[in-house]
Amino acid sequence: MWAATCSGPCSSASSESSTPAAASGPVRFATDASYAPMEFMDLDQVKGFDIDFIAAVAKEAGLEHEITNVGWDTMLESVRQGTEYQAGISSVSITDERKDSYDFSLPYFESTNIIMVKQGSPVKSALDLKDKKVAVQNGTTADILMSGIMGANNPGLSKFESNALALMELDSGGADAVVADIAVVREYIKNNPDKNLVSIADSQNFDSEYYGIIYPKGSELKAKLDPAIQKIIDNGTYAKIYKTWFGEEPDLTHLKAAMAKG
Amino acid sequence: MQEFRFDIILYYLPMLLQGTLLTIGISILSIILGSVLGLIVGFGRMSAHAYFRLPAACYINFFRGTPLLVQILIVHFGVVPALVGHTDVMIAAVLSMTLNSAAYTAEIFRAGIQSVEKGQTEASLSLGMTHRQTMRYIILPQAIKRMVPAFGNEFIVLIKDSSLLTVIAAKELMYYANVMRGQYMRIWEPYLTAAIIYLILTYSLSKLLNWWERRMN
Repeated sequence: MWAATCSGPCSSASSESSTPAAASGPVRFATDASYAPMEFMDLDQVKGFDIDFIAAVAKEAGLEHEITNVGWDTMLESVRQGTEYQAGISSVSITDERKDSYDFSLPYFESTNIIMVKQGSPVKSALDLKDKKVAVQNGTTADILMSGIMGANNPGLSKFESNALALMELDSGGADAVVADIAVVREYIKNNPDKNLVSIADSQNFDSEYYGIIYPKGSELKAKLDPAIQKIIDNGTYAKIYKTWFGEEPDLTHLKAAMAKG
Repeated sequence: MQEFRFDIILYYLPMLLQGTLLTIGISILSIILGSVLGLIVGFGRMSAHAYFRLPAACYINFFRGTPLLVQILIVHFGVVPALVGHTDVMIAAVLSMTLNSAAYTAEIFRAGIQSVEKGQTEASLSLGMTHRQTMRYIILPQAIKRMVPAFGNEFIVLIKDSSLLTVIAAKELMYYANVMRGQYMRIWEPYLTAAIIYLILTYSLSKLLNWWERRMN
């Protein structure tokens, strides 16, 4: 567990708010810290891009916050109930289906899925994967995309509980390809230079998607944090955090367009 | 709790049942192979010779003393690639469950055989039976009857523990429950349905075993 330092009007924020969440101390965020470099555990500390991002947002909004690694399922259920955790941040892609169950913040991160194969693979695009063995993380947008392309019950499509397991399956020769978020794939290739892995972008079949913070339906937190998200993207704080984790300046064109749409 | 959606359960039912069939298949195969291996290990454990007894004891201690989840991951990402050159989820599933259940059935065999009083062996030997005849006609029939409940228990545990195979994406019942959760991001429908199916499997198995046990008496 990790709490941000609180600067500015922390206490006054709680007095003017009617939500029990704010009145009873810091905003509690849940995460599934198994998605390096977005969120991961470093010994007993949650770290990653999302973690630094939400710290900057909370600081901007004048809110105290803490983040707990609870795992994906627990995060989803407890954020939906909204009592133990008032929000979740865990590279959750904004989709229409998920909007039925949660309120989303403004989009704060542009991502796309990408294919990872071993060097020399004949795969050139997602369509080449139809009759191949493909490993994805269960429930992710990579899962949704590949279920669409290959057929949901294609025996060649294996859905693992984490990207790490899917990547190991490729590594041990049980799968021909892994499809996952670009940040995760890049991090893995970077950390395993001896494994001769290559990534294949496919903008034709894989659209950009955007991550959002999830709130319980009707949460008042959205109104407090959205302006702060906008602010740190406009004032360059976001770009600084991005550079720390990805080593390059972000291209914010698409993200800003998506934010403008809400 | 929001509205319970029976429609998504119905939508996933064919896949859940397909997964159930695989759960049953893996469990049956593993209990059979595990019993054969367990019989060998069990006799090894009871052997008078230390070079049979010690490896058997090590085997039992390792597989009973480490979590099945760890064993599954070691077999899938380590043992099977070492044997066949790449991961193979079905080999890994049956192999890990077999190796694990053999350790337990070995102890069931040993306990069953050792539960028959020493006097029985002494009596039949003094009647002029050989050791082999004593084992075949006197000890084993009594031992097997005592093993049935423990053996049935092991089968039930195996069915439940096969849910751990979802971690290597073996497409059994728990896998499809997780897939269902992944698609709808809902907890109750997939997991309650899976729980009920497991319960039906284990409950009918225990009823069957009760009936068999009564018949044997």
